Amino acid sequence: MIKIKVPKLKMLDSVKLHVDALLTGAKEAIRPGTITIEYPRERRKLPDNFRGYILFSPERCKSCWQCSFVCPANAIKMELASNNRYYPSIDYAKCIFCHFCVDTCPVTALRPTKIHDVVYKDLEEMYTPTEGMVNPPKIIREEKYTVEYVVEGRDLILKRTREMDNLIPEIEPHAEVKEYSTCFDPESCLACGLCVNSCPVEAISITTVGQERRLKIDREKCYGCGICVNVCPMHILKLVKRPEEGG
Amino acid sequence: MPELFGVSDILDVISMQHFVQNMVSIPLIQPVIDFLLQIPVLGYIVALILWKPMFALLIFPGLMTLLTVLLFIIWFERKLTARIQWRKGPLEVLRWAGGVIQALADGLRYFFQEVIVHRDAHRLYFLQFPILIFIPVLLPLLFIPAGTIVGIKSPYSLAITVAVVSLIPVFIVAIGWASNSRFAYIGTVREAFMYFAYEIPFIISVISMILVYGTADMVTIVERQAIPGIILNPIAALVFFITTVMATSRLPFEIPEADQEIAFGPFVEYSGIMFGLVMTIAYEKMYILSLLMSILFLGGGNGPAIPLLGDISGVIWLFIKAMAVMVSLAFLRSIYARLRLDQALRVSWTTIMKISLVSLAIGVIINLTTVGVVG
Repeated sequence: MIKIKVPKLKMLDSVKLHVDALLTGAKEAIRPGTITIEYPRERRKLPDNFRGYILFSPERCKSCWQCSFVCPANAIKMELASNNRYYPSIDYAKCIFCHFCVDTCPVTALRPTKIHDVVYKDLEEMYTPTEGMVNPPKIIREEKYTVEYVVEGRDLILKRTREMDNLIPEIEPHAEVKEYSTCFDPESCLACGLCVNSCPVEAISITTVGQERRLKIDREKCYGCGICVNVCPMHILKLVKRPEEGG
Repeated sequence: MPELFGVSDILDVISMQHFVQNMVSIPLIQPVIDFLLQIPVLGYIVALILWKPMFALLIFPGLMTLLTVLLFIIWFERKLTARIQWRKGPLEVLRWAGGVIQALADGLRYFFQEVIVHRDAHRLYFLQFPILIFIPVLLPLLFIPAGTIVGIKSPYSLAITVAVVSLIPVFIVAIGWASNSRFAYIGTVREAFMYFAYEIPFIISVISMILVYGTADMVTIVERQAIPGIILNPIAALVFFITTVMATSRLPFEIPEADQEIAFGPFVEYSGIMFGLVMTIAYEKMYILSLLMSILFLGGGNGPAIPLLGDISGVIWLFIKAMAVMVSLAFLRSIYARLRLDQALRVSWTTIMKISLVSLAIGVIINLTTVGVVG
């Protein structure tokens, strides 16, 4: 056991420390370095990759279910839309704002925003269907200033500007990688048909030639969602990069 | 047997003439007062209020100033601490004035809250003591002279004031006993320990100042301070200041209340307006001791006279000095951390006791050398 002894200070030293403390207090009382942001009247300037409310663009989504698979809080549920495609919906009562779904989305269909102050009346209302994720929610903005923390030398200071911060940052969609599903080991195929049932565009079919049943993937129909890759019990399907047009 | 007081004597005492003879003179609003005195009933009331002892009781240093100072200093303490700690402090109530009526708003909230008396409390004492404690809080204010305005003149006024102020912790211990809960018990024991630890150096420093001035009459003490007492006996001033910090449970000696660890100690069981009453005790004590400090060490109501204000000028000087002392007491809150009980007791029984004895020695020396000069 280590025993720590109280440092013995000389009389003068302790008086000096007291005077130091008093002077520091007096200095701060006269010129305080207040760092409080008066939130409804001011708003902190947040980085563009702030993990806030999540927006969804259905035209980009290829229903790959990756967001739903990766969600650690099980907040994302895929819902069947009228066009026979599955689109994500978020239950904000469960969401922990880790934005794994945004990071994992291969086609930038999910986008982050800086909106963090949405009010719900009850838990049921916090379940946001796909339609609710397309447009940003209505929030009341009272702020006159946008505030930013700036480090100057050794001091942290507040910088106030009179402009309104854009809460929905423009995110450049990253270049889409066109892929299609393919079977690299047809010998091992069980022809169980799980992939056939899972395919949203009916690109996979099983043809029977004599005693042999063969898997056939229509490369034109397939848009590379990868559901069949996840479903296959023998792990013999994989996504392959589509060759460039004319290349 | 001769009659001590006749009916005519009593009528003399309560007559308007008696009040007007000893009235606060304010040249600035004298025409208004003269006009008001002509009106039958209102004139009597005005004369009564401006009668010096009644003025001391009601306006300064009495009830009105006490209330105003309470409302101000609670807000100011929070605001100053927030400022030093890079926060904003109370702001939303009356925003343009920086939330200055926050204490008033809190008081109103307390007023409409339910007062809960829990099952284990001694019901009678639990409800009685927070109100009874106003006797030792308000009584000293009558003896404190503000210039020429003083409630009761007495050759022992300083001794009486110190004795009555020393009664306040007894009431706090009684409050803690009546609360009958664990936190209140801990707080009460701490209060009792601290009471013994600070009261002796406090009284020694007051005695040393009595020796310096050769009298215990506060009016005379103020008159004799051509040189402020803080220069005559700075060590007594230091001891008085530190013991005031302990007595009013400011940081770093906020040990009996210690809201972060034992949740206001003796006052933990109170709610509603009763909590409002007991919470302000420390601030009221702080006000009295600040007035006492400005009278003993800072020259009381002495200062450049303002002719237009007449008797009020002494009041203003005393008020400014007392507020300066209170602000410096509130300032300590934002700098120091709370000491443990044993550390505070060690500091008080050793260092402060030694210093107070030194101050007593200085007082004795001054008393001996100036005998016949002021005494």
